[in-house]
This record gives sequence, C-alpha cells and structure tokens, in this order.
Amino acid sequence: MEELDVEPAITNIPAASDGKHLGFAWGPGDILAYETLYMAPGMCAKGSGCSFIHEVRKDEDIYSPILRKLFNESHHIFVGLQTIREDLPSKNKKTQFVSISKNYRSVIRACMEELQQVAASVLVLQVSILLAIELIWNLCEVLFIDAAPAGPLLLHLLDWVRLHKGDVDEKAREVLQSESPAEHHDYWDVVVSYVLQGRFEEARQMLVKQATLQPAARNMYKLMDTLLSKMPFYNPGGTQTLTEFDVKWRHWHEEVDRCLQDNSFASNQHLEIICKILVGDEDTLLEHKELLSTWYHFLVTRLLFCHPTVKPTELHYYAQSCMTMFLDLRSVPEPLDSILLAAFEFDIHQVIKDCSIALNNWWFVAHLTDLLDHCKLLQSHNLHFGSNLREFLLLEYASGLFTHHSLWQLAVDYFDNCPEFGHVYLELQIERVPLDTERKALKVLRICEQRQMSEQVRSICKIMAMRALRNNRLGSALSWSIRAKDAAFATLISERFLQDYCARGTFSDLDLIDNLGPAMLLSDRLTFLVKYREFHKLYEENRFSEAAKLLLSLITAKIAPRSFWMTLLTDALPLLEQKEVSHSAHCALHCGFGHDLCFILQ
Amino acid sequence: MVHDAQMDYYGTRLATCSSDRTVKIFDVKNGGQILVADLRGHEGPVWQVAWAHPMFGNILASCSYDRKVIIWKEENGAWDKMYEYCGHESSVNSVCWGPYDFGLILACGSSDGAISLLTFTGDQQWDVKKISNAHTIGCNAVSWAPAVVPGSLIDQPSGQKPNYIKRFVSGGCDNLVKLWKEEDGQWKEDQKLEAHSDWVRDVGWAPSIGLPTSTIASCSQDGRVFIWTCDDPAGNTWTAKLLHKFSDVVWHVSWSITGNILAVSGGDNKVAYTL
Repeated sequence: MEELDVEPAITNIPAASDGKHLGFAWGPGDILAYETLYMAPGMCAKGSGCSFIHEVRKDEDIYSPILRKLFNESHHIFVGLQTIREDLPSKNKKTQFVSISKNYRSVIRACMEELQQVAASVLVLQVSILLAIELIWNLCEVLFIDAAPAGPLLLHLLDWVRLHKGDVDEKAREVLQSESPAEHHDYWDVVVSYVLQGRFEEARQMLVKQATLQPAARNMYKLMDTLLSKMPFYNPGGTQTLTEFDVKWRHWHEEVDRCLQDNSFASNQHLEIICKILVGDEDTLLEHKELLSTWYHFLVTRLLFCHPTVKPTELHYYAQSCMTMFLDLRSVPEPLDSILLAAFEFDIHQVIKDCSIALNNWWFVAHLTDLLDHCKLLQSHNLHFGSNLREFLLLEYASGLFTHHSLWQLAVDYFDNCPEFGHVYLELQIERVPLDTERKALKVLRICEQRQMSEQVRSICKIMAMRALRNNRLGSALSWSIRAKDAAFATLISERFLQDYCARGTFSDLDLIDNLGPAMLLSDRLTFLVKYREFHKLYEENRFSEAAKLLLSLITAKIAPRSFWMTLLTDALPLLEQKEVSHSAHCALHCGFGHDLCFILQ
Repeated sequence: MVHDAQMDYYGTRLATCSSDRTVKIFDVKNGGQILVADLRGHEGPVWQVAWAHPMFGNILASCSYDRKVIIWKEENGAWDKMYEYCGHESSVNSVCWGPYDFGLILACGSSDGAISLLTFTGDQQWDVKKISNAHTIGCNAVSWAPAVVPGSLIDQPSGQKPNYIKRFVSGGCDNLVKLWKEEDGQWKEDQKLEAHSDWVRDVGWAPSIGLPTSTIASCSQDGRVFIWTCDDPAGNTWTAKLLHKFSDVVWHVSWSITGNILAVSGGDNKVAYTL
C-alpha cells in the first residue's frame, strides 16, 4: 500500500493530564483512550489525574438518519452495477455507466436537499461536503466516464458550471419580480452572469427590457443582440465538423473584435464590458471575480470565449493558469481546488488519493473508484495495484458500515464483490455483530450459511446455545446445538432434560424432541433422550409390546447413562406385569435386567 | 489509575482494571456508561483484562501484581470468581485468551520469567502447563497466533476435530521476542527474534486474512516498533522491519480486527499506522 505523504490529522483527547501516557484499546468501530500510570521521563504528575475513558470514533456519518438514505440507495446502485455483463459492446456499456453515474449523483442531490430542509446549523458543513462531492463526481463523469472529445467537451463543462452556480437564477428571479427590472441594482450583474455562463437566450431577453428604456441607444442594443444570437455553439448531433465549427467561430470572434475596435459600445459602459467578455478579454473576466466566484467557472468561461474547441489533453494547461490567475490573493489552494485540478490533469489516481485524505468517510471514493474500475479506467492509468485499489476502498467503506446496528447488512454485499479479501473480511467482521435477539442471530446465520462460512455458523450457534442454556431455555439450547452440530453440547443439554425428568416426572419441549428425526443421532445421550421419550409415549398409548421392545433395545444398546439405570428398572417393572408383552420380550427383559441388576447391586 | 480497558467481542461491554485493585465492567451500549459489576479479589494493582469468546459465556480474565490470575464468569446476571491461579512467584503482567478453536485456553506472562497456559477441561477443572524461564528477568506480554490448520480446512471431513497447531508470541525483559509452539502436548520455543535493545513491552500477532504470511508487531522500552513477517507457512524465516522509532518508550501495540491498522501507544501521543 502506498504511504501517505501527508501528515495525518491529529485528534486531541481532552482532559489528558500533561505528561501522562495514553493507553488504548480497539473496539469494533472505535478506539478507547485512557490515561495510564506511565509518564514521560522527567515529568512529574500534575494533579490527581483523570479517571475517565474516552471513546474515539472514526466517523459519525453512519449515525446520521438522512445520510442513511444515501448509504441505502447507493448500495442498491452498487449491486446493480456489479451485474452489468462483461460481454456488452463498449458503446452500450458507456451509456449505462454514464447513467449509473447520474444515478449516484441524483442520490447525493436528494440527500443534500433533505439536509437543507432540516436547516440545522450543524448540518451546514454536511451540506457543503455533499455539494463538493457532487461537484467532483460530476466533473469525473464528464472527463472520465463520458470522456467527451473536443467540441462536446466544452458544452458538458458549461452544463457542469451552470449546475453548480445556482445563485444566478435566484438573483434573476428577484430582479424580474421587481417593479422595474431594468432599474434593479442587480440587473446588470444578472445579465453579465448569464453571458459568463453562455446563457445568451436569457441574456438577450433581459437586455430587451433595458433596450425599451433607452430608445436612443436602440441601435447599440440591436447590435449586441445580433452578436449574441450569432455566436456559434457546436452541435454534436449535427453534420458540421469540428473544423467547420472552428472556422465559423473565429469569424464571429473577429466580428466582435471589430465592434470593440470601432468603439461601437463605447458610450455604454455595460455593453462595452459585455463585448469585452465576448471577445475573451482576460482582464475583464478577472474584474468579475465576484460573479464568477470560482476559478473553475473562470476556466470554463475563458475557454468558452477563447478556445471552445479545447481538447481534453489541453485542459490541464488552461486549468493551471486559470487557477493561478484567479487565486493570486490566496497563498494555498484548498483541498477541493487540488482535487479538481488533478481531475483536469486526468490524474485519476491523484483525485482518488486526495479525496480519501480530505473526506472522513470512504463512501465517495469507494463508489466512484468502483465505477471507474468498471469503466476500465484504473488499469489504463498504470497503477501498480489497479484493481486492488478498488477492493481496498470498498473493504474500508464496508468495514465502517459494519459497526452500525442495521447498516451492516449492506456491507455484506460489498464484501461479496471483493474477490480477494471480501470473504475473509466478512468472516472477521460478522462475528462481531451483537446477537441481541434470536431474530438477528438467525439473520446473521443465514448470511453465513449462504456463504459456506461453517466456522462462523458453528460459533454463532454455540453462542446462542450457551445463552439459551443460561436462561434455562432447554429446547432452544438443544435446537441451537443441533444446528451447530455440536455433539458435546447436545449431550450436556440432553442430560439436563433427563435430570429435569427425574426431578419433575415430565418432559419439557416435547414438540422439539418428538420431531427431531435424524438429528437425534448427533449424540448418544440425545438419541437416548428421544428414544426414552418415545418409550413413554408408547406406554401412555398402551402399546406395551412395542414399549417393552423399545425399552429392551435401550438397555441392550447401552446408551443409557448409568444414573438412569434405576429409572429404567423402575420403568420395566410394570411392563413385566402386562399380559400383552410377548413372552420372548418378557424373558429378554428378565435376562437383560437380571444382568444389569447384578451390576447395579454391586 | 486505569491500566487497561478492553471491549468485549461486540463492543457492548467494557472491562477496566486499575491500581485500586478492582476490575470494573460497564455496559456501553448506545453510548451509555453503566457500571454493571465491580469485581474485587486482587490484592494489588491489576495490570490487564481479557474477554473470552462469547461462545463460552461471559468470561473475563484479569492478572495482577499480587501474582494471581483470576478468571471471572457471569452466571444468572451476577459475576463471580470461576478460577484463581496462584502458580506464579511474581507479578503477572499479561493475559491473553487463545482462539476459540482451541477451546478455552489462557496464556499468562509473569515477572518471574515464566509463562503459564491454563486450559479449561470442563467441570470447573483447569489444566496447567508452565514454561519456566521463558524470558530471563520477566515476561511482559503474550499474544496468540490465529488458529490455522496445516493444509486446507476444506479437506477435513466434517465433524472431525482439525489438527490445529497452537502458537503464540511473547516479549520479555531479555529484549527478546519469542515464538512458542505446542508439539505432542509440550510447549517448545520455536523462534527467538532479536532486534530490540531494551525490554519488550508488548507484542501482537496480526489476525489472519487468509494469506500464507504471518505478521507480528513488537514494541519496546527502546522506543522502536518492529513488524515481523514470515512468508513460509512452516514459520521458519522471520524478517524484521522497523516501523518507526519513537523518542520515548512504547507501551502498547494492537491490531484492528482485520489487521490492516496497527495502533501504537507510548511517547506523548497515540499513533495509528496503516499497513
């Protein structure tokens, strides 16, 4: 496994006295920390020390009820993804993969919307994390999964930016609903924002409102309208080639430039600015940092007006320079910026690595990596542990789920789809699921039985049998020990049954004992118990002949415990007096008992 | 002062032991902390506690400066002494339950240099085997290897008890890490691993994830943590790799359930390593 070249985050344990060494212990999903007697050399104890134990838990997300939906629904998508057939033609597969990617994203969005409605302050962070995740995922979908070539690439990037800059519509709504939209203080911001996002239809509609207010400048507005309507957009479904589009676009670009040189908009500051934007003037774009708000918006806008036929391989150059230009006031880019930059550089490995470090939950990287692995994108990027990366992340994610009282069931499917270590991880983890109720134990058991995890089956049955025995539920204990195929335990329990009989004269759990079938052969003592009960049944039904035969076989088979011989003897006596008992049986009983009677009397 | 705290198998109960000579058991389900039992029986600071596998019931072992090992059992909701072992001549420093496949078996390491193995044979009887002079000056830690059968488990006919090889690792004041193997009912020293320059304070055998490799972690007064790996299934060639050298003594190493994270404590903070 690669080593982390980033300092791991430090978690401070409060109330630990200075100089005292911390001890710890692993729990299933957390670590316990406590102060010990030991001290660093040269320090003396300050105060009496802290007798608390602290529980350090790795991530709280699994306990969030809203996020649970995320885990549940993404599990569903994950399982579906694993069943996509390998032999489908790659074109069909690509469509499916894009569709699955969109499914994942819509689940994230749904979760975000729910969180936003709850409106608790503590969830604001959660919402912003989900926003970032969806932003990254969307970009990965555009660049890696859909892998759009030059032409459609820019269109997809425009969609991407538009999707993640929701405040433009809000502002527009506010402006349009006002008394006089063209005079609203945000009016020009809205127009410029539309232009920056390439939404020319909407920009034109807004400009019409301004045009009607300024009849004197009508020609200028008409010119701008024409420029905006004539900007070519590449049509992926059309017959035009990229080169043809490029020629048309350059033509249009020259026309806009001419308007600038001619000072056509010189008398209107706003229109002049828009014209400069259309020609792709960097300085003008940078003057609108507030409206752009992010360097990647700046990037896409710049590409739109300078280089709409950008190739995927050229992206990283533009991305790097845009980020530098935009962020010159800040010294260090944030994790999100590095991740997006890595994506523009098509460094999938770096994206995954940075996301793993930045986020405290494995959900995102596990699912995204799994999808990328299905798209066969990990191998082509020359990782020395290509598919193992996928498995590693899925294992980490699923292990985290296992500590949750109900989400652990989702984890099973993830382990099932990890061919190398999934099975053994499941074996190690499933033993730690608390068997609070019989129902839960049966659930766990079924999972183990379906996967031929015989060791775990045995262990679980033994635990349940023990528990039942401690609570004096002999019938339950017996059926668990039979399921565990535990002969020794079955013997123990049968003894208890027999002891009970001696004490009370009746059997408990008759239903169970009467219907054991071949399971009774698990242990001698158990067989004896069943047969002995059968003997009683026969006697009660006055089938004395059969009863006698059975009793005889019990004696001769020598499976009766020694402590029971007196009882058997006592049972035999009334039979000897029964006329229905056959003569041979009579004799046999006499002989049989004669022999044993001597034994007992010794 | 709490010396050790251990979660039970399911993370629902916590056992702690301390210099006040008591062992306490808490119910920690749903984030609560309810004292369930306060076990008194030791006459000195209690160093370690260890939970047995739940299939044997609720059983806890504790070891103490008073040279005793006490095994406690919960019966009908009440905790009581199940067995008391007084066979050591000095403080018992470490206790560790073997894998449940071996039955109920406890290894104990003591400052008298010996390691005892207590096996429950049924009906309140315990069989005792002692390895004298396992480590000169004293033994500080013991840890069991996971149960592994030579050859494939699949070949075993069901119902037959597989031939497990019982192995465990110990660390002592002779700066050594030693591996022990049971052969024909006797315990023999299998390997002697030298790398530390001061007392070995803790050892931990990593859980098995089905690979033929075995991995052991050891930590010492010398501030070093070593990872020992053995690639051959016979267990003969062990290679040491220094994980890290800390500036202070390292007290404790512990593997996560799946063996992919090693937690280490000592010095002035707690560190976790991914391997």
